[in-house]
Amino acid sequence: MNYLYFWYINFLTNHHIPKIVADITYPVLPFCIIAAAIIFAVLILVLAERKILGLFTQRKGPNRVGIWGIMQTVADAIKILCKQNIDPVGADKFLFNAAPILVFIPAMILWGIIPYSSEFIFMNFSVSALLYLSIAALPVVGIILAGFAGNNKYSLIGAIRSGAQVISYELPVMFVLLSVVVLSSSLNLKDIVYSQLNSISVFGWHVFPCIIGFFIMIICILAELNRCPFDLPEAESELVAGYNVEYSGMRFALFFLAEYALMFVMCAFIATIFFGGFLPITNKYISEMLFSNSAFLETFIYIEQVMWLTLKTFILVFFLMLVRATLPRLSSKSLMKFSWCILLPASMFNFILVVVIKYIVEGNP
Amino acid sequence: MIWSKVLALISGHLTVFKHSFKKRVTLEYPEIKQNLPERFRGKPNWYPNKCITCKICMKACPADAIVIDKNEDKIEFKIDLSRCIMCGNCMYNCPKDAIVLSHEYELATDDKSELNITLNNKSEAV
Repeated sequence: MNYLYFWYINFLTNHHIPKIVADITYPVLPFCIIAAAIIFAVLILVLAERKILGLFTQRKGPNRVGIWGIMQTVADAIKILCKQNIDPVGADKFLFNAAPILVFIPAMILWGIIPYSSEFIFMNFSVSALLYLSIAALPVVGIILAGFAGNNKYSLIGAIRSGAQVISYELPVMFVLLSVVVLSSSLNLKDIVYSQLNSISVFGWHVFPCIIGFFIMIICILAELNRCPFDLPEAESELVAGYNVEYSGMRFALFFLAEYALMFVMCAFIATIFFGGFLPITNKYISEMLFSNSAFLETFIYIEQVMWLTLKTFILVFFLMLVRATLPRLSSKSLMKFSWCILLPASMFNFILVVVIKYIVEGNP
Repeated sequence: MIWSKVLALISGHLTVFKHSFKKRVTLEYPEIKQNLPERFRGKPNWYPNKCITCKICMKACPADAIVIDKNEDKIEFKIDLSRCIMCGNCMYNCPKDAIVLSHEYELATDDKSELNITLNNKSEAV
């Protein structure tokens, strides 16, 4: 993030503003970038989800607002902002208002941890992978509060289901991350990305030694995001809408925003630890070939790295939507059984396998 | 056993993915209209020169939408389209084929009185 920081300080000193002001106001800048990026990404994701689900079911999806319906989510957002906020009778007002914020804030923090390019990381900690998983488990606190505070039996059941689901699917994720950490010998996400740098480009990616881990991770993030086929907390046919039954207007919009922001950032996380993050598919950066003589080559490379990560993320998002279009919902009992009896042993097996592969390839350190 | 399940999962996803290359079934309605089947039942048309005032259609109508009056040589045919369910019983029971259900289905209107149609054999319009 030094790049952005020095650019900002330079910009202010050119306008004769003291450095202390720059130091104090600097954290606002990454916040603004993340906030704008989340809104933009969610607008795209919601439209993409509806269009792609239409594609898989031989429909057209939204096609009225704007050309090919691309303004549909904007229209929906305006509608939902104009709606009334309803406080249900007997609801705990404070918790009821706090819950959407508690769901949304972790999603926003997670966006800051992902390394978008080699110089474009908002929060670069030495244990950022661990920090990522610990914060990724936080939204469920907001969900349980939302179910509890709404004074509604459907939302309470939905929230309890969500809590149970996240607890049982968190453990395999930890084991998979552990095997990735073994492969890259680091807990820093940027170092994990750089450990996948290989002379034979794509084959350095961690997805090849850790293929079982990748599928376990995909299944687990589906469960953590409460998406199909693990959408028990929001099961329409049983629980109306689960934990957000009582929410309307802006508060519901926050839940919605958090859900899609989390989906994007989880896919970005998987792309980072398994698919080489911001590294290109080819051996060289495309901008290195195109603008090799340009003075802004570095900037072009940073932009290209962001593009590569976004591309990989959207391919994963597309896969999640394919899963949603294909699989029916699991029952509550088989959900738990699947996690504890299949995924957890499989992730342990994957961990041992990865350790053996690492030992064979690199030898005794 | 586990491999058969994995194969079923993969083939399921492939089947869904293949559907994205098939033709869309959605029609963008006001611009593109659907080809109606031959025996589609829309708004009933009455042909006064065939009608023999037997009133079988009146009795056959389950929604009581049709009323036929005969004053001397003037036959009056009243149909309430807000009650009509387009079942076609009048058409099937008519001995002279004086009522035929057309392919006209865009009958929505702002004014309910427009749906009460009165026709007689003296007027030009049918």
